Amino acid sequence: MLPDDLSRELGPKLGDRLLGVDPFPGTAGRVRFKPDAALDLFRAVRDDLKFGHLSMVGGIDWVDHREVFYVAWSDEIKQYLLLSADLPAESAHIESASSIWPSANWHERETWELVDIAFDHHPDLRHLLLPDGYTFHPLLRSFKLHEPEELEVKQRRV
Amino acid sequence: MGHLTTPAAQTAPPRPAAADFKLEGELPMATQAAVPFLELETLRAKEFIPAAREALSSLIAEQGQAKVIRPVFNWAGRNSLFPLHWGLACCAIEFAAAFGARWDAERFGIVPRSSPRQCDLMIVNGTVTWKVAHKLITLYEQMPEPKWVIAMGNCATGGGPFRTAYSVVPGVDKLVPVDIYIAGCPPRPEAMLDGILKLEELIRERKE
Repeated sequence: MLPDDLSRELGPKLGDRLLGVDPFPGTAGRVRFKPDAALDLFRAVRDDLKFGHLSMVGGIDWVDHREVFYVAWSDEIKQYLLLSADLPAESAHIESASSIWPSANWHERETWELVDIAFDHHPDLRHLLLPDGYTFHPLLRSFKLHEPEELEVKQRRV
Repeated sequence: MGHLTTPAAQTAPPRPAAADFKLEGELPMATQAAVPFLELETLRAKEFIPAAREALSSLIAEQGQAKVIRPVFNWAGRNSLFPLHWGLACCAIEFAAAFGARWDAERFGIVPRSSPRQCDLMIVNGTVTWKVAHKLITLYEQMPEPKWVIAMGNCATGGGPFRTAYSVVPGVDKLVPVDIYIAGCPPRPEAMLDGILKLEELIRERKE
C-alpha cells in the first residue's frame, strides 16, 4: 500500500479533515489529520484498510504544540501505518482510541502521564508508570530535574 | 601425562593434634561444668538430653544467660544467612552470578529463599523507584526478626546516576535501616560476598 492509495481511500471519508499523507520509512505512510476526525479515521483504518492491531500510541512535546501519533499494524498486508495529529499546547486533548482498538488503553494512560495529552472518554485514565498522586508530567520540555530533598535516614530499632 | 599423577612429595600435611584446635573465643566453656562437654559425645541418646540440659543450666548459672545463649545464636545466624531471592535491576545479574558455579556463595551458608518469611537478609540489588518503595517496605516487614539489609550498588546506596530523577528513591536507607553499603556499578560478585562477610562480623558482635 502506497501513500496515494491511502489518500484515495481516506480522502472521501474525511474531506478537509485529512491534512495529507506523506511517505514515511518503514510504514505504508504517515496520515496527518485534524483532531476532531479521530474516531472516523480510526474506524476507517481498522474496518476498511484492515489495520486490526494498534501497536503503539505516543506523544511529542514540540514546545509550541504537541503531537500525538498512533502506529497501526495490518496482518493482511504486513505493513505499519502511522497516524499523527497536532494538538495545541494549552489544551492538548483528543478522542480516545480505546473504543476502536482496546490495546490503546494503557498506551494512552502512559502518554497522558508523561506528556500531558488528555484522552476524552477514556475508560480509566489513571497513572500507569508513575506513582499515584504525581501532578507533573516528566517528559515535557518545561520539566526540570533537581537534587532530591533531604530525607531522614532510617535507623535500626533496638 | 606426568601432571595427572600425584607426585610422591605432595603428600597431605599432617593433621594437627586435637589439643591444637582452639574454639573461637566467643564460645565460653564452663570451667567446672557438671558434665564436661567432651564426655557428652560418648553418652547414649537417652542419656544425652538430661546431661546436656544439666551442663547447659550449670553453664548459664555460672556465666549468665546473655553470655551463653547470645554467642551461640549469633554463630548459628551468621553462618546461615538466607537472603531474599529478588532482583530490582542489573545488580541482580551479579547477585545471580554469585550463586553460580564460579563464586558459589552457598559455601558461606548463603541460600537465597523466595519467601520473605524464610529470610533474615534483604539484599537490595538495584534502583529503587518510588513506585516499588511500599512493596519493598512490605517485604522487609514480612521478614522475621532478626533481619539485616545490604544496599548493593550505587543506586541502592544513594540513587546512583538516577539521583536527580523524579521517580527514584535517593538511597534505600530512606525506607529501611541499612547495615552494609556496597559500592560499585554494579559491584562484582566478590564485592557482594565481601559485604556479606562484613555483615557476619557485625552479627558476631551483636549483643542485644
